Amino acid sequence: MPKSILEVKGVKLAFGGVHAIDDCSFHIEEGTITALIGPNGAGKSTMVNVISGTYRPDEGHVIFDGKDVTRLPNYVRAQHGLLRTFQISREFANMTVLENLLVVRQGQTGESLFGALFRAKRWHAQTRELVAEANEILNTFGLYRLRNEYAGNLSGGQKRLVELSRAVMAKPRLLLLDEPMAGVTPALIERLGNHIVELNTELGITFVLVEHNLEVVEKICSRVVVMALGKQLADGTLAELRSNQEVIDAYLGGGAHERVGS
Amino acid sequence: MSLILGYVATLLVTFFTYNIFVIGLNIQFGYAGILNFTVITFMAFGAYFYAVFVMPHADNSSQIFYILGLHWPWPLAMLAGIVASGALGYLIGLIALKRLRSDYLAIVTLATGTLVYGLFGNNNKLFDGWSGLFNVNQPFQSVATNHPNQFSWIFVVFSGLIMVVVWLFANRLYASPLGRSMRAIREDQDVVDSFGKNSFKFRMMAMVIGSLIVGIGGVLTIQYIGALSPAGWTTGETFVVWAALLVGGRANNLGAILGSLLVAVVFNEATRYIPQVPSHPNLIPNLRNMIIGSLVILSIWFRPQGVFPERKASFLEVPLVDKYAQGFPGDEPDSALSPAASEA
Repeated sequence: MPKSILEVKGVKLAFGGVHAIDDCSFHIEEGTITALIGPNGAGKSTMVNVISGTYRPDEGHVIFDGKDVTRLPNYVRAQHGLLRTFQISREFANMTVLENLLVVRQGQTGESLFGALFRAKRWHAQTRELVAEANEILNTFGLYRLRNEYAGNLSGGQKRLVELSRAVMAKPRLLLLDEPMAGVTPALIERLGNHIVELNTELGITFVLVEHNLEVVEKICSRVVVMALGKQLADGTLAELRSNQEVIDAYLGGGAHERVGS
Repeated sequence: MSLILGYVATLLVTFFTYNIFVIGLNIQFGYAGILNFTVITFMAFGAYFYAVFVMPHADNSSQIFYILGLHWPWPLAMLAGIVASGALGYLIGLIALKRLRSDYLAIVTLATGTLVYGLFGNNNKLFDGWSGLFNVNQPFQSVATNHPNQFSWIFVVFSGLIMVVVWLFANRLYASPLGRSMRAIREDQDVVDSFGKNSFKFRMMAMVIGSLIVGIGGVLTIQYIGALSPAGWTTGETFVVWAALLVGGRANNLGAILGSLLVAVVFNEATRYIPQVPSHPNLIPNLRNMIIGSLVILSIWFRPQGVFPERKASFLEVPLVDKYAQGFPGDEPDSALSPAASEA
């Protein structure tokens, strides 16, 4: 039985009277690509924020790699290898693509004041290595020629690729992608999908995707978790879920408007 | 001749100290994106604390009151002044940096500045109230006894050396991974946090380092002039520093030099020496502020990045074979990466 890397146990979170997440539990197995789907307002993005540590749940636990991280701030979770991307591309606009990647690596000598001032030789050497590494990553994503361009000048699709390559540079163990295919052309959707599968098989990164494009989900995700009204509704492969009446009512079959209205 | 020499020395010292202020602000705003709207309060903190550490105990019969009066040697007192300024930066950071950003942070700094101004001015037991401190012990007095200009020129060298050290420090910080993280925070703080870096810590560092550097400038100011009263650090002075940074170019210390030369020396200091019009005593100062204001407007209009924009980072690298070199991005009709296609 594969080891589960992430467990969400009985999470509840309310904003005023709105129960964004209402007793939701699921788990993610290590080394898999899992999709998190559900109608608008199901609490998917809120769940991503709870897992990554932007929001703290009112109740329940988030367990990453056997460790309860519910009370840890987001940057400490990231240090453990639990990373996320955002629904809108959030590149460092006034820095070059290469710099965008260099920033995110943890544990550089020149990041402390003492190191920055008095160990210049060491961080210069480190930076040279990181530049080589970053260039390799950028080359895989087809961004190599754009490495010295300001990230803010890139097109929407290129920014998506920068986001993904930047996340790879940070060496994640689990990567939460919040709608990575939003606003992206079909050709690039396919490329992004291929990149995700490659990263999963070659580097062993576990992925959790919040995604509305079911074609993509069917193609690259081995398991799907369905959320509706802040609860975990079902999980399994997409084929299994297509025959699940509850899921069809909530999401697949277009019964969503009734639930939103109720 | 000796009058001109003295004048030139004063202009040079002004240039050096303003340059230090602008570099301090540049680390806060240009690097880490912290809107500090009370730069001049840190200058005053450095100056006042230098003064009360270096001056002898207050003589109550003279009706001049100030705290401490420890009569320390000037290098130690200088350190104390700088640390005091850094401590103020730390305090403001503790209150404001954790929860606030951009405009809201700016409001807190502005409010703190006003608070300190009122407190120091109205309470004459602290730093002698509105009349301020004077006869503050100056360094190098034992060696510079022959001529007043001798002190001035020794001080030009002294402040120039300090400026060079600050400049080298700021440039190394900029290029280092620490500076890179600060700039990333300026771009998007949440993303930096989500990549495992404690952005609060980095912002606090920038805040305190910037305050310490502005404090150095403050100590140099009072060492050179020997006196300071609240009239010398009104809120308006903060915006002279800001104008210098915006005109010169933020996040580029070359811009800091040019900005402080243009704004702080040419427009701010040199115009002080234009003869007063007797019927309108405020004409010249008002004119000066108008000129500096229009300079800022013009530079934001025509060159929003400043005269020297932030330099693009470049790295020594071994070139790779571009995997997508052929036929990218225009090879497929609906190329995934052509700007037109992905903007939709």
